[in-house]
Amino acid sequence: MKALKVFFNGVLNENPTFRMVLGMCPTLALTTAAINGIGMGLATTFVLVGSNLVISLLKSFIPQKIRIPAFVVVIATFVTVVSMIMQAFLPELNKSLGIYIPLIVVNCIILARAESFASKNSVFLSITDGLGMGVGFTLALLLLGSIREILGAGTWFGMPVFSDGFSPAVIMILPPGGFITLGLVLGLLNKLTGRAE
Amino acid sequence: MSEGMRMSIKLFIITAVAALALGITHAVTEEPIRLQNEQASVEARKGVLPDAQEFVQVDISEYKDEYPNVVEVYQGKSGDDTVGYVFKVISKGYGGDVELFVGIDAKENKIENVSIISHNETPGLGAKAAESDFLSQYTGKSAGSPLAVVRGSATQDTQVEAITGATITSKAVTQGVNSALEFYSRVLKDGGAE
Amino acid sequence: MEYVGKIFVILISSILINNFVMSRFLGICPFLGVSKRVETAVGMGAAVTFVMAMTSLITYIIQYVILEPLGLEYLQTIIFILVIASLVQFVEMVIQKTSPTLYQALGVYLPLITTNCAVLGVAIINIDEKYDLIQALFNGVGAALGFTLAIVLFAGVRERLELSDIPKPLKGFPIALITAGLMSVAFLGFQGLIK
Repeated sequence: MKALKVFFNGVLNENPTFRMVLGMCPTLALTTAAINGIGMGLATTFVLVGSNLVISLLKSFIPQKIRIPAFVVVIATFVTVVSMIMQAFLPELNKSLGIYIPLIVVNCIILARAESFASKNSVFLSITDGLGMGVGFTLALLLLGSIREILGAGTWFGMPVFSDGFSPAVIMILPPGGFITLGLVLGLLNKLTGRAE
Repeated sequence: MSEGMRMSIKLFIITAVAALALGITHAVTEEPIRLQNEQASVEARKGVLPDAQEFVQVDISEYKDEYPNVVEVYQGKSGDDTVGYVFKVISKGYGGDVELFVGIDAKENKIENVSIISHNETPGLGAKAAESDFLSQYTGKSAGSPLAVVRGSATQDTQVEAITGATITSKAVTQGVNSALEFYSRVLKDGGAE
Repeated sequence: MEYVGKIFVILISSILINNFVMSRFLGICPFLGVSKRVETAVGMGAAVTFVMAMTSLITYIIQYVILEPLGLEYLQTIIFILVIASLVQFVEMVIQKTSPTLYQALGVYLPLITTNCAVLGVAIINIDEKYDLIQALFNGVGAALGFTLAIVLFAGVRERLELSDIPKPLKGFPIALITAGLMSVAFLGFQGLIK
């Protein structure tokens, strides 16, 4: 029961992208296409689950004062593992995600979960939290990637969605489109949920 | 002090275990990564010169100053026959370097195919240069004379139609192709560097 | 002379054309987080510039003196991030001693430079682009100046935004992101500046 709550907390209530506004760099940079959004989301989920698992296992071993460097080492290890696996088995995706793969290390979501959840909770709950946050992040990236790809390139997962008459708004897949789409989606969510700063 | 020591030792242990784990992953994935890269580059070369069975890299170090844009040259062979050459060239585009492969059919003295390896052009505009609609224009052009970019429709054999809204990118690709053609005609053709 | 020209191109392109914040999306967290006041934005920019210049130098040396000769390139990410974390710690100590006001203003964000992806990003880009030491240094400084330029301009806009009448659901992050989007349109104009 508690696990379910923790899981959906990450997907909905504390959605890392839409609620906490964390991990913005990959969110903005890689949502030019739906497939990139999923790829980045899954890679991040793997790192989140792995680092949450290890950090909750080690929580009594890691001294309070050096916890941040220790967390960073654990996270960087998982990121490097993901990067090697992707290079070996998913070279195409690895190429399109490029530099943002090693940069998962500095994705604030992961360090934030390590610090605020995994270092205080049981192994099982930490894994669940990592999964929930990862899924929440992936869904957010998928949504943004879909909006931008459909409007900016006229395709979804590479398949055309409009007839030939549609001329795509290229700005959507350029950098400004990233900022503006996320801003509007956040505003819309605030409106729908009646929340505002 | 002793607390500081304990902390350092613990951090060291964590780092050491991490490095060990990475070492193991590296050992496991090294071979697949190498194969993957090798296969990718062979396939990319085959893409612009499909008739070749194997590729032998040509030493071009003595031409480095004269042709700075030509980075790598491969001789494409089928058995003992030289089918043609594959050139890896770099050209300056709108958003940065454009890297491309140019395949030249040595027997018919024409361009077999052109492909773009990497670029940083504007999506939706310059990035269209990587699509076959644009690149297929080069196929079959004579390797003897340099190509020119025109806006609108091409009227001569040596002309290539620019992508609407991306003339600079179109020119960049064409310049890259031209440097490969020049290198081919001056250095390789008729028993140059073999 | 040609070399000086190349360095100049690297510098200009990392400040304007491939601006880290506006076109590469690196360093977005501090860009959104520390941009409410121009003053703090300037301070953050200065701290980031120092850290990025030092990072470019140190990671470059580590890569080519230690990692590559030993065939340990795969430890790149983990080593680089540790270097950056220690550097940030050092800068934090220096600022705390020399300027308590600045230290208070930057507050929680100083340790956050560690997780500023612009810093790790520039270190990796330097290696990926195969820059030499001088080029790496200029790329680092240029990227940091570009970050500072973007964050200071953005803070200027945001100071005014606070006084404007913004629809309630758009207050805070949404309007900030839309503003950043418009700035990014302006930065698009620099594309093609260097041929």
